[in-house]
Amino acid sequence: MTQTPSQTAGPFLHIGMMPETAPLAPSLPPGEQVTLHGTILDAEAAPVTDALIEMWHPQAGWARSATDGQGAWHLTATRPATAPFVNLWIIARGINTPLQTRLYFPDADWQADPAMARIPEARRATLVASKAAAGAYRLDMRLAGEAETVFFDLRGE
Amino acid sequence: MTPLDWTRHPPALTPGYFSSVIRSPRKGLIPLDPTEADLTGPVFGAQDIHHADSDLTRPGISSDALAIGPRILVHGRVLDEAGRGVPDALLEIWQANAGGRYRHARDGYLAPLDPNFSGCGRVLTAEDGSYRVDTIMPGAYPFPNGPNAWRPAHIHFSVFGWAFAQRLVTQMYFEGDPMIRHCPIVATLPSPEAVDALVARYDPEHDRPMDARAFRFDIVLRGRRATPMEA
Repeated sequence: MTQTPSQTAGPFLHIGMMPETAPLAPSLPPGEQVTLHGTILDAEAAPVTDALIEMWHPQAGWARSATDGQGAWHLTATRPATAPFVNLWIIARGINTPLQTRLYFPDADWQADPAMARIPEARRATLVASKAAAGAYRLDMRLAGEAETVFFDLRGE
Repeated sequence: MTPLDWTRHPPALTPGYFSSVIRSPRKGLIPLDPTEADLTGPVFGAQDIHHADSDLTRPGISSDALAIGPRILVHGRVLDEAGRGVPDALLEIWQANAGGRYRHARDGYLAPLDPNFSGCGRVLTAEDGSYRVDTIMPGAYPFPNGPNAWRPAHIHFSVFGWAFAQRLVTQMYFEGDPMIRHCPIVATLPSPEAVDALVARYDPEHDRPMDARAFRFDIVLRGRRATPMEA
């Protein structure tokens, strides 16, 4: 059987994915609680105000956030014990197939992660968060243009 | 895990769909082998949703009011590429009302809101991967993409399988809708076969007589390939 194709989530994804009544509860494995946040900008450096970002934690945790009027998102997570990163998954109007990226913790050994060897050195920093405050990490993303964020294709086999 | 099949999914940059132009990466995707972590995900269950979440025709469990529009049910199975049903897959769905208007602060279309229609639903697949939702036929609506662009009637689907690598967001269309071939978002798909895979079929065998027409929409997620034992 062949894979069902993707289509954009469109501008009104909040109706189904961020419902006002009974939104899906995040699930977080045990660990040091951290806040992850940032902004998503388009090719013209304008904020992407209708995006949704999901955090997929290496230990089967999950959380999501919609961007606000400034393109800002924020998530509560826990620090992974098994990897120097969390996976991020981004959809919005204009994104035909979801974008997958990672947030690396600057105070973890991200340089040694095998994925880094696949990325041109000059682009690696687009995935490394900065420590914004105690327990808070910031990663700004750029969908295209100067300092375009690295996005991955999880190919398999 | 099988790779994402780029003969099926739309590329990032599709100039005919204007919104993709400033929101598409240009430097190419970096290929990565999935790690063990990419083959896991959150486990959603009955505690996360209510059985009434799969009935969009009513505004609430304690209400007798009904949404306006042709009554339909959408059913099918969530499968992996080996054809095995995916149990406990969570589907989140959302759609416009019968007039083509979304219940959303940023939708200013002229068609009126329906006080009895939220357009939001959720359902978990059964052991064999099957699901069913009750809803109303959504309307077509215009959207800003050049001088005159319309969306065919469609239902948005967000699908969680058992792994990050299976995560899918898509849209379901309706068999026979002439708007499909005019839609710039449908046109982002790489082939007529990919379009066809998103078109639900009228399925009279599953109609509820004197109540609702049935449409069938199966969803195939990336999955482990069939092992030699199973093949």
